[in-house]
Amino acid sequence: MTRDPLDTLRLPNVPIEPRPAFADALWRRIAGGEQVVPQSATVRYFVADLDSAIAFYRDQLGFEEELRPSPTFAMLYRGDLRLLLSVAGAPHALPDGTLPEPGGWNRISLQVSNLNATVAALRATGVTFRRGITAGVAVDTAVLADPSGNPVELFEPRAGYHERTTTKE
Amino acid sequence: MSTTSVRYIVDDVHAAIDFYCGRLGFEQQMHPDPAFAMLTRGDLRLVLVSPIGPDHPGGGSRPMPDGTKQQPGGWNRIMLQVQDLEGTVEALRPHGVQFRDEIVTGIGSKQILVQDPSGNLVELFEPIRSEARLSS
Repeated sequence: MTRDPLDTLRLPNVPIEPRPAFADALWRRIAGGEQVVPQSATVRYFVADLDSAIAFYRDQLGFEEELRPSPTFAMLYRGDLRLLLSVAGAPHALPDGTLPEPGGWNRISLQVSNLNATVAALRATGVTFRRGITAGVAVDTAVLADPSGNPVELFEPRAGYHERTTTKE
Repeated sequence: MSTTSVRYIVDDVHAAIDFYCGRLGFEQQMHPDPAFAMLTRGDLRLVLVSPIGPDHPGGGSRPMPDGTKQQPGGWNRIMLQVQDLEGTVEALRPHGVQFRDEIVTGIGSKQILVQDPSGNLVELFEPIRSEARLSS
């Protein structure tokens, strides 16, 4: 079969996953109706580079990009976690001029169903781990680093794991 | 059921429990070990751990393979929405709660940084745009 020489000039055909919830929210906003926003836990991470951070959290860890109104700020979601990514700048400076930086040890902790497989798959794509799989009392954990060096913990529950539950109404 | 989990490293788990439950509205779920506590606040689960040795049965706050100890601090933080930021700040100050800065008005919200007893940051925010608001 002859190859069309123009193929190299054409844009790739990228499948886009439909997101009904986003479309619904957009429609409600356009229509001016009542807005219902789910309760979400919110965490702010400082990153050195917004592009690589968004790509990392989206492609490696399953976050969805919700909002990116400026080159220094993005809002991502993963389930009911809202993650704000900020590039430190003048608005974040403390009164003494100190600027926030990526890093530290405090971290979000994402539950996975197969930690061994998840860690292996992420390592294969070049993700760096600060610490490999470690057995704890009720969970196995591993701590990876995002492109800015921020820690993200993955965990898989073991026997004895506790989670607060509520009964359905 | 909380599906968001955050781990904070603290110097003293007991003092941290008093702070998060007594001042910021968290509820204690478990405190089975002096180095570990699990709190919740709405959909957020906050795990508080103090640094432990390599032989401690707990896993989360053990040193790294190269011996590096995990420490409190840094700039990444949980954010808690409040309805009246000025009122909340005025209510917290008499209790000796330390703030890292003053109220800052950003694009989507007014915010301030609270310090926990170990120096970890918690951001309190009051939305001023609908995009930043968590509940209708």
